[in-house]
Amino acid sequence: MRKSIIRRATKSTDIPTASTADIAFLLILFFMVTTVFRATTLRLTLKLPEAESTERILIRRNVSYVFVDHERKIYIDDNVISGELIAAKMAPKIWDNPELITILNVDETVNYGTVDLVLDQLKEAKAFKITFATEFGRL
Amino acid sequence: MQLREKRKSKHAIPTSAMGDVAFLILIFFLTATVFTKDKGLKMLLPEKAEQEDIVQVKPENIVMIMINPAGAIRIKAAGEEKDLSPHEYGEIKRIVEERLLERDTLLVVSLRASKEAPYKNMVNVLDQIKLCRVTAPDGRELRANKISLIPTSEE
Repeated sequence: MRKSIIRRATKSTDIPTASTADIAFLLILFFMVTTVFRATTLRLTLKLPEAESTERILIRRNVSYVFVDHERKIYIDDNVISGELIAAKMAPKIWDNPELITILNVDETVNYGTVDLVLDQLKEAKAFKITFATEFGRL
Repeated sequence: MQLREKRKSKHAIPTSAMGDVAFLILIFFLTATVFTKDKGLKMLLPEKAEQEDIVQVKPENIVMIMINPAGAIRIKAAGEEKDLSPHEYGEIKRIVEERLLERDTLLVVSLRASKEAPYKNMVNVLDQIKLCRVTAPDGRELRANKISLIPTSEE
């Protein structure tokens, strides 16, 4: 009687680990497929204008962003900034890196006067390389 | 008999590390992949003009495109004026290309958008100018590179 109990206990109790990699893969693929990245900065809803001649900007290092939302609020580095202070904010950046490209993310409903104000300030800060951010699209 | 026994060794490629290799490759590409999220219309702004820097451009080398607060467009080229509704953007391309072929690199496109005009209309016009591409008789590709953005106000 006792003998038989001991024999039962010596059975191998390994958990099969051969398929852990498959499970991990499955999890990775599941999360890759279901994850949605936040497209824009929080609380900033912009509808960029569409343009047919939109080009991709391949450089990522020398880039700086200016946002103008539908309420004509101007944002640089996550801060709301008044129009006249853009030059003061951008000038040191240009000083650090003269190759800096400023990307203007402006809502399509904003009037051109506001955009012109930003352009004028950028000229003052010598930030001459600019890009009007647009979405791919046809008219 | 003896020889045969000696040569009986197993030939198997170890496959247990396959999963690890695949992981390594996966993680490498996950970290190395760069998505281009920035796209738009490139422009080079001019320096702030001093009085002596102002260059006179001959009227025949200018295509003037005006946008009024309602988004309507008036295009002035070669002494002709033409009003376009906000949906006739294709016409801008046609006129600018025609002038480009005639004036070559001398052509300046002057985009005069009203300060009250929506940014969208201004971008749409700029888009059309950027799309302009003609082949010169000598085979060069001509583009409307000289674009000046001039804001106008109603008063």
